[in-house]
Amino acid sequence: MDKMRLARERKGQFIIIAAMLLSIMIVSVSTVIYGTVTYYRQERWEEYVTIVDSVKTASSNLLQIGLANYTQTPNPNPNVLKDYFNQWIRDVRSAYPGYGVDLDYDLANGNRSAYGIIPPMNYSLGLTRRWNQSTSYVASNATVSINIASAGLTGYNFSSHVFLRMSIRDAKWYTGSGNWYVLIYVSVDKEGLEPVISLQASNFPSVKVKHLSGVAQRFTIKRYYSPPSAYNRFIYEIKVTSVTSTPSSIEVTLLDNRGIKTVSYTTSITQDGS
Amino acid sequence: MRVVESIMAALIVISAVTFLYFFASTPSSQAHDTSELEKIGHNILHDVDEQRLLARYVYRSEWANITSALVVSLPTNVYFNLSIYDINHNPINHPLIQYGDQQVFSSSAAVASVTYILPGYKTSYNPRILVLKLVNG
Repeated sequence: MDKMRLARERKGQFIIIAAMLLSIMIVSVSTVIYGTVTYYRQERWEEYVTIVDSVKTASSNLLQIGLANYTQTPNPNPNVLKDYFNQWIRDVRSAYPGYGVDLDYDLANGNRSAYGIIPPMNYSLGLTRRWNQSTSYVASNATVSINIASAGLTGYNFSSHVFLRMSIRDAKWYTGSGNWYVLIYVSVDKEGLEPVISLQASNFPSVKVKHLSGVAQRFTIKRYYSPPSAYNRFIYEIKVTSVTSTPSSIEVTLLDNRGIKTVSYTTSITQDGS
Repeated sequence: MRVVESIMAALIVISAVTFLYFFASTPSSQAHDTSELEKIGHNILHDVDEQRLLARYVYRSEWANITSALVVSLPTNVYFNLSIYDINHNPINHPLIQYGDQQVFSSSAAVASVTYILPGYKTSYNPRILVLKLVNG
């Protein structure tokens, strides 16, 4: 009898011990799961994401501003991007005090192949340009790294580049019926080979057609989509009037809506008397 | 019989579950609202910036345009107050760029704040810090 009662009592203790163990497991597992689920909210990631996003967009804009400065200044400063980024690093720290935001940058140097340009674009301190060719371009390129100490974020890298290309596709001199003019067919694209289609006459501050008796500069402009049988792209047709003698060269200056400038030049002009 | 032990075991498990129920309280709706407003505010500033309008409005002091852009983009029940500073945190904008009853900002506990930075405009490096405060009206 005593042995049987003892065994029954042990079984009763086992139920209580098992219930306590089960309770401890439930509480432990639930605590871990709850902590994991609410970690995102407690850390306010949204705030860090907006900082990263804001700095990323602004750094890309900085490349645009640097390139605009480089292309518009008569005696361009080749260190302009380096100077801007050094200042930018200090200013971002000041703009987000208490977050421990730190930037680093690496400006492109040497040859880089992109957009099918041959020979490859030759960068120096993040900048490159090729002007006075039938296809002219300017570009800037940098890799930026963001660290946010307060969020434990380190080494978030992104590359930004800005590009503007203008190509003189064709130039024809018309001499029929006493109305002498030159038609210049120009295409413009930017980074991602995206065509630039919002340009107005004011975006072409200078169009010069040199001919034997002077320089013609008065022009009108229109844009249209040229079919696949012709150029298969958006074309700006620039009509320069008063070209009263054989044209020898054409120089077109473009200043896009971002303030980036490029200059194309050609001596290849065909005559069409029709 | 093990009736007493069973009841005690059940009580232990119920206590554990009850404890968890009170422990696992969800975040307050205010914190959630603030996070949503921050997201909305940042997205709007980013969109206007992507259209290359934000820098123009700020650097050319087109305060009416920037106010209109924010009013059109934000939900009608969201009030805002935008302050613009130079890099030394000196205020730039005058008059204030705002919409809605400004007393709500002092009375509400859920005011969202978004900081956005512009590096410059056209060819000039000249940073501006935009602080957009948002609150549900």
